[in-house]
Amino acid sequence: MNNKISLRAFAFFLLLVIFIILPFVNDSRTLLILLTQIFIFGILAMSYDILLGYTGIVSFGHAMFFGIGAYTTAVMLKQMDHTLLIFVLSIVIGMILAGFISFLVGLLTLRLKSHFFAMLTLAFSGLFLVLAEKWRSVTYGNDGFTFRAPDLFRDRMTFYFFVLASLVVIFLALYRFVNSPTGRILIAVRENEQRTKSLGFNTLHYKVIASVVAGIVASFAGSLYAVSLRFVNTSVMAMDITLDALLMTIIGGVGTLVGPLLGSAVIEYAQHALSGLARDYPIFERWIIFFGILYILAVIFFPKGIIGSLRLLFGKWRGRLKQRKTTGPLPQEKERFE
Amino acid sequence: MELLVNLIINGLATGMLIFLLAAGLTLIFGLMDVLNFAHGGLFVWGAYAGIFTYMLTESFIVGIIGAIVTGALLGLLTEKFIITPVYGNHIQQILITLGLMLVLQELIKVVFGPNGVAVKTPSYLAGSWEIGDVIIIKYRLFIIVIGFVIFGIFQYMLKRTKIGLIVRAGVQDKEMAQALGIHIKRVFLYVFMVGAALAALSGMLMAPYSGVIYAEMGMEYAILGFIVVVIGGMGSFSGSLLAAILVGLAGSFMAYYVPVLSLAVNMILMAIVLIFRPQGLFAMRKERTS
Amino acid sequence: MTTLLTLNEVHTHIGQYHILQGVNFEAKEGQVTVLLGRNGAGKTTTLKTIMGLTPATKGDIAFRSQSIKKSPTYKVAKLGIGYVPENQGIFADLTVEENMKVAMRKEDTATLERQQYVLELFPDLKKFWKKAGGHLSGGQKQMLSMARAFINDSQLILIDEPSKGLAPIVVEKVMEAIVEMKKKTSIVLVEQNFIMASRIGDTYTLIDDGRTVNSGNMQDLIDDEELKRKYLGIG
Repeated sequence: MNNKISLRAFAFFLLLVIFIILPFVNDSRTLLILLTQIFIFGILAMSYDILLGYTGIVSFGHAMFFGIGAYTTAVMLKQMDHTLLIFVLSIVIGMILAGFISFLVGLLTLRLKSHFFAMLTLAFSGLFLVLAEKWRSVTYGNDGFTFRAPDLFRDRMTFYFFVLASLVVIFLALYRFVNSPTGRILIAVRENEQRTKSLGFNTLHYKVIASVVAGIVASFAGSLYAVSLRFVNTSVMAMDITLDALLMTIIGGVGTLVGPLLGSAVIEYAQHALSGLARDYPIFERWIIFFGILYILAVIFFPKGIIGSLRLLFGKWRGRLKQRKTTGPLPQEKERFE
Repeated sequence: MELLVNLIINGLATGMLIFLLAAGLTLIFGLMDVLNFAHGGLFVWGAYAGIFTYMLTESFIVGIIGAIVTGALLGLLTEKFIITPVYGNHIQQILITLGLMLVLQELIKVVFGPNGVAVKTPSYLAGSWEIGDVIIIKYRLFIIVIGFVIFGIFQYMLKRTKIGLIVRAGVQDKEMAQALGIHIKRVFLYVFMVGAALAALSGMLMAPYSGVIYAEMGMEYAILGFIVVVIGGMGSFSGSLLAAILVGLAGSFMAYYVPVLSLAVNMILMAIVLIFRPQGLFAMRKERTS
Repeated sequence: MTTLLTLNEVHTHIGQYHILQGVNFEAKEGQVTVLLGRNGAGKTTTLKTIMGLTPATKGDIAFRSQSIKKSPTYKVAKLGIGYVPENQGIFADLTVEENMKVAMRKEDTATLERQQYVLELFPDLKKFWKKAGGHLSGGQKQMLSMARAFINDSQLILIDEPSKGLAPIVVEKVMEAIVEMKKKTSIVLVEQNFIMASRIGDTYTLIDDGRTVNSGNMQDLIDDEELKRKYLGIG
């Protein structure tokens, strides 16, 4: 066991070193931008995994927290000043806002059954999208606005390292979170909410915690995203963002944290590659179809995602058919019986 | 007076279209416990398939039939290949039907092109009547009539026929229905197909009303459909009619008097209902059975 | 007497739980077979397993020497097994009439004659013919559920704890009805109330911890104080 943990730690360390060295070896601007994008969406997808993978709740409104972060940072950098201090301040304010809103929304909606929750989150994020469209004096509506990033981030490479460092910190923090006693209870909620409740835990309380954590982290990802584009418009609030996070989490493997990171890499790279292909073959303009089909197949045949399936394979290989606790399949709602 | 009548007719027409969309959703949910997030995809496929048939044959009636057939067929495929494999698992259902929605929407762009298509009202339904100083647009009245006729037919079937009895029994207690010899899975399939056909019909009728069809309209109207199902009470057929009319009227009046709120009013309405009366305003007695 | 139903080493899993771990019994034509046992012994699950609602994972179930282990519920019902669940399974929004109608697989004269017969057996149903099932009393629901199971030409009816939660006088009526119905069909009855069970049962099967522990003629059990004390906690 000890041996295994150090092996895993070693693998992470190795990957980290590779990503640190990479920009010096290959200074392709495209690659740098792509990797930055992968890291940012990796953070978003990990936050979504806290909900879907660890707590077993499907939210269709995750984009609203991403959007809150993106708009807070963009608006503050534009209207106040493009300094690093304002940037940091905007991240904090975005997170507080997102945390507060996810707390309120969670408290109101998490007591409902899964379909209602999914629908209500869809509606709430729809409201935020409308707000972003209508509050033109601040958001410039659908057209959006450009703004200047802090001077330090003018250099793509500095920003790349900042995002990479953020990713590592967030990953470690979330890893600790899901392995904490609270995280264990979230998993219990996913496995069987009724039983967790009857053991005396206030499951609503824990689900709200999960939703607040996920909201805060998503807002942070949104802040980074805005700075990476130096532009923001209503698309940061759109359903597509939620779908991306969902896709990355499912394809990478729910309830693993690493899976969503891998999922982010797969999806972002594929989008990049497919949109390149689209120049020659128009069918690839509709690349989202391929993802949609892939996603449907994944839900039916491959519900554990890449990481989950690999772990299962490893488990078999070691003659250990029993899965690790954190490698749960897509959460199942247990049928009730007497 | 004129304004009031117009707003009401507007609201009723929109409400009827949403009702057709929501009727399928609510029946499918009530019977199968499946919330079909792909319902808007069936709606938009109905619109496109119907309108293209209409343009090809130059007959609006044939177009309507084309839409219904397309809807039923897509419903058949969806139930068999998408819903059945994940039956009984809510989370997988939510995820997979949303995925299907995505695919259906993008497929529209592949098959019919990515741009919106302008739609003309057939000549015999175009224009308007003037009664005193009130102008009534024919097509809107047509939609309202169709909506009430379909509601009437379904209400009759649900209340008076054996198949209606079976559906109502299945909504209340699936296990018992099976134990009485009812092949509930086949009933599921038929209801799903009928629901899909209604969604497709709704899309087809919406097309001349809004004048243009586009791939994203599916999701937009599906959200209205969800709102109606929630307000009306999931599984309640007549509840969805009342809720649809409510949503239609609220939208039409808000668009005129408080346009800023027109997009948000229905969402707010749904949020309030979900928080304070999650079973819906017009819910059935289902929960109190046992 | 021919054997109608045979359960042979039946096992049932629900989720991760192994509920039935070897249930054996036979139900013979024209008899009332009573399943006895403590709460949670697996009696209800045994009935559900016969109906295919919680399918058996091992062993075999035969009805008229045809295996029904893998048959879906609706097919089991169509073969001629009626089911009266513990909660009666009345469709609350349907009237008494509609509840009967939804159960009818044919609407021929034989079915209508049977309907006539059950309505004489349970006059209350006729009285509340147009009333919603949800508004009936517990005893009326029990009667409706039994009538519904009887309306088709069922050769066997499974009845789960008909006396549960009913007033003694109503229990008496229900039991009389079962005795009456026995003239036309065979019955497998789950019953906690041993006095009732011993009065109307012909044979018994004792289930404990998901296993059949003993079977025989009812009279033998009535005389066997030891067995009663051990598995039923009476005597």
